[in-house]
Amino acid sequence: MLMLAGMGTLRRSGRRVPPMYEHLVAPFAEFEFMRRALVGTTALALGAGPVGVFLMLRRMSLVGDAMAHAILPGAAVGFLLSGLNLFAMTAGGLVAGFVVALLAGLVARATELKEDASLAAFYLVSLALGVMIVSIKGTNVDLLHVLFGTVLALDDATLLLLAAIATVSLVVLAIVYRPLVLECVDPNFLRSVSPAGAPAHIVFLALVVMNLVGGFHALGTLLAVGIMMLPAAAARFWARDITAIIVLATAMGIISGYAGLLLSFHAGVPSGPAIILVAGAFYAFSVLFGRAGGLLRQLFPGRHLEA
Amino acid sequence: MIRRRHLLSLGASLALALSLPAGARAQDKLPVVATFSILGDMVKNVGGDRVAVTTLVGPGGDAHVYAPAPNDAKTLAAAKVVFTNGLGFEGWISRLVKASGTKAAVVTATRGVTPLKMAERGHEHDHGHDHGGSDPHAWQAVGNAKIYVANIREALIKADPDGRAVYEANATRYLEALDRLDAQVREAVAAIPADRRQVITTHDAFGYFERAYGLDFVAPQGVSTEAEASAKDVARIIAQVRKHKIPAVFLENVSDPRLVKRIAEETGAKIGGTLYSDALTDENGPAPTYIEMMRHNIRALSLALES
Amino acid sequence: MTAALTFRDLTLGYDRHPAVHHLDGAVAPGSLLAVVGPNGAGKSTLFKGIAGALRPLSGGIDRGRLKAREIAYLPQIAEIDRSFPIHVYDMVAMGLWRRAGLFGGIGRDDRAAVEAAIAAVGLTGFEDRPIATLSGGQMQRTLFARLLLQDARVILLDEPFTAIDAKTTSDLLDLVRRWHSEARTVMVILHDMEVVKANFPETLLLAREAVAWGTTADVLTAENLLRARQMCEAFDSHAHACGHGHAAA
Repeated sequence: MLMLAGMGTLRRSGRRVPPMYEHLVAPFAEFEFMRRALVGTTALALGAGPVGVFLMLRRMSLVGDAMAHAILPGAAVGFLLSGLNLFAMTAGGLVAGFVVALLAGLVARATELKEDASLAAFYLVSLALGVMIVSIKGTNVDLLHVLFGTVLALDDATLLLLAAIATVSLVVLAIVYRPLVLECVDPNFLRSVSPAGAPAHIVFLALVVMNLVGGFHALGTLLAVGIMMLPAAAARFWARDITAIIVLATAMGIISGYAGLLLSFHAGVPSGPAIILVAGAFYAFSVLFGRAGGLLRQLFPGRHLEA
Repeated sequence: MIRRRHLLSLGASLALALSLPAGARAQDKLPVVATFSILGDMVKNVGGDRVAVTTLVGPGGDAHVYAPAPNDAKTLAAAKVVFTNGLGFEGWISRLVKASGTKAAVVTATRGVTPLKMAERGHEHDHGHDHGGSDPHAWQAVGNAKIYVANIREALIKADPDGRAVYEANATRYLEALDRLDAQVREAVAAIPADRRQVITTHDAFGYFERAYGLDFVAPQGVSTEAEASAKDVARIIAQVRKHKIPAVFLENVSDPRLVKRIAEETGAKIGGTLYSDALTDENGPAPTYIEMMRHNIRALSLALES
Repeated sequence: MTAALTFRDLTLGYDRHPAVHHLDGAVAPGSLLAVVGPNGAGKSTLFKGIAGALRPLSGGIDRGRLKAREIAYLPQIAEIDRSFPIHVYDMVAMGLWRRAGLFGGIGRDDRAAVEAAIAAVGLTGFEDRPIATLSGGQMQRTLFARLLLQDARVILLDEPFTAIDAKTTSDLLDLVRRWHSEARTVMVILHDMEVVKANFPETLLLAREAVAWGTTADVLTAENLLRARQMCEAFDSHAHACGHGHAAA
């Protein structure tokens, strides 16, 4: 690659293009599925990025995995009613996800039980219910396996779904931003000045479910949960203000999608894992070198300030 | 006291008497188990009325990712013969056999088949089972199916020597039908113009068909439905389709059709319908038996490629 | 005279054990009231009840025409997530909730108010500091600044000066006096009797029931304090249902 650096690559048309173009842009220019994949991951990062930051700050980072299991009864009912119909199963999954998130959220607010225990309880019950429903039908299709898509196969309807989810997420987050932040920092204060805390929380949970289930359907669990949580965790090490963290997390998510797709294209690594590995590399780098609390900073803080 | 004991013994003998005729009826049929639907169909054809066949992975099921249920262990324990495909197709069967404690003879239907190595691709198996490098879909070549039938016949005769005449007659009749099927397939392939004998499918299940009949099958994923595609694989297939002007793309009944649809859309190849690779359909579908499955497949292929 | 708050046979507690037991009385509007008593006397519980965070086991609190938003409550151990990435400025600006609401932008006047509040508590220059880096005293100043912006009619402070340095305590007491001069009703739970005697005209001595309530000098006598200390601190797990109070005739 270094040898060709100066020479560029010879194209079929006879023109020489710089190797930078060949490696970084050409795959997207030549193949529509790559362009779609890029649009898809970018849309996902825009919606899931901010949601992931809030999840991380509220110590709900494992919600993604729980949700992947919780949607099973919904998908199963969709399957019972309409067979291997992706629309029916995704819609069913959404309903199941909303119900689980809603119930878990309500119990956590109304009782002493915290969010994590409440969600764990409900998702486990949901999963068991789903397994039972699946076994009624008798066939052994791995429902969730069929439901989870791949980033390389985004058709128009799926792209529209991702774009819609991203748009709705951003708009809704802008609306509930203040109560959401307050709920994280000082929930007692929020409760004393406004009744908006509970509805804001429910709305936020709805956004989480939407991003996750939509993400599962379009891109599979690994990608959906990974793009939501890894950039958030990494961004924490570079900023001390929540707005900056959100912007950074979203940017890292978008770049991970781009770089991961290129990695999958040039090195033949499966696409989902490639994207998540890039995000993981960002995370590792941030843990070590991040300016806000990274390990290296802690070991070698440099000269202290005057005041 | 005395009266109760009399009642008990009366009840017990009644129960015994009632169960005996039922037991005697059950003794008539030889209980056997086949791991999946295609194998089960062949066993039924050779065994006829003398066997009661239970199939573990039913119509439409995916044996690659099948998770055995406790009921299956019970079924195995009661069986006299267990028919498996072998060549790593059922990664879960040896554990299940051991767990069930069955005394049944375990028969590998592919004994004597010349195995194909799996094609060299950058795929991954992330669920633990190991083909040992062989492609297990041997039944896709009718010649191999005849070997299956011979193995089945010998196993049934060994387990039930009284039925030797029946098994041999059934097998001979079935083998003749298979010969006719084989001729049909060759005829159909010959009718396809030589430069159009290429198709894209969702997974590498047709290696043996390729070798036996000369049709070229290209797939974006590895042999198992668990493997995930890389952007490089997909790009390569698209380039290949464009270069060779491959006319048709086929979906399968056990995997996600979205990726294949994407490739079809991007290359302009036609979606040729559904090919049945790893499982039969139920009675109402187009492929309820092995012979009908092969006939359906070749008909679909011809239709798409000839025009 | 209309009262800011009236307690009618008020019993507040947890799991049916009373922490505040049959409290009667009224808080005049604009009063500056210290609430003192031994540990377990029910002081924090009383404030929680006033703020609406705890429902009475029996009896009630009459808040007149006061809306819930007009009562500002600073709890003893604020359940604030100090690790949350937010700055002093944004933390203080939360006090503008009543004016800005969910979407209201923060205009120039509001920004001036935030800065003035930060200055009033002596934290000018700290606007961009993350709250994780603040000392206990600085955090308390920040919360006071927020209280300033809330512009509440009734202000409840639960042990605001515990573990706070003397300079901060003195500065924040200035603020309390300022609120009093603005005719707001201020109730403060304190342990330091000297601070009470120096700054608070009225005192309520609470030991689950009201031991004494009136001018500070009258309340903080040796016998009253002794009586308060003698009252039972712990929950009695063998207690029977209570038959006292207005209900029992």
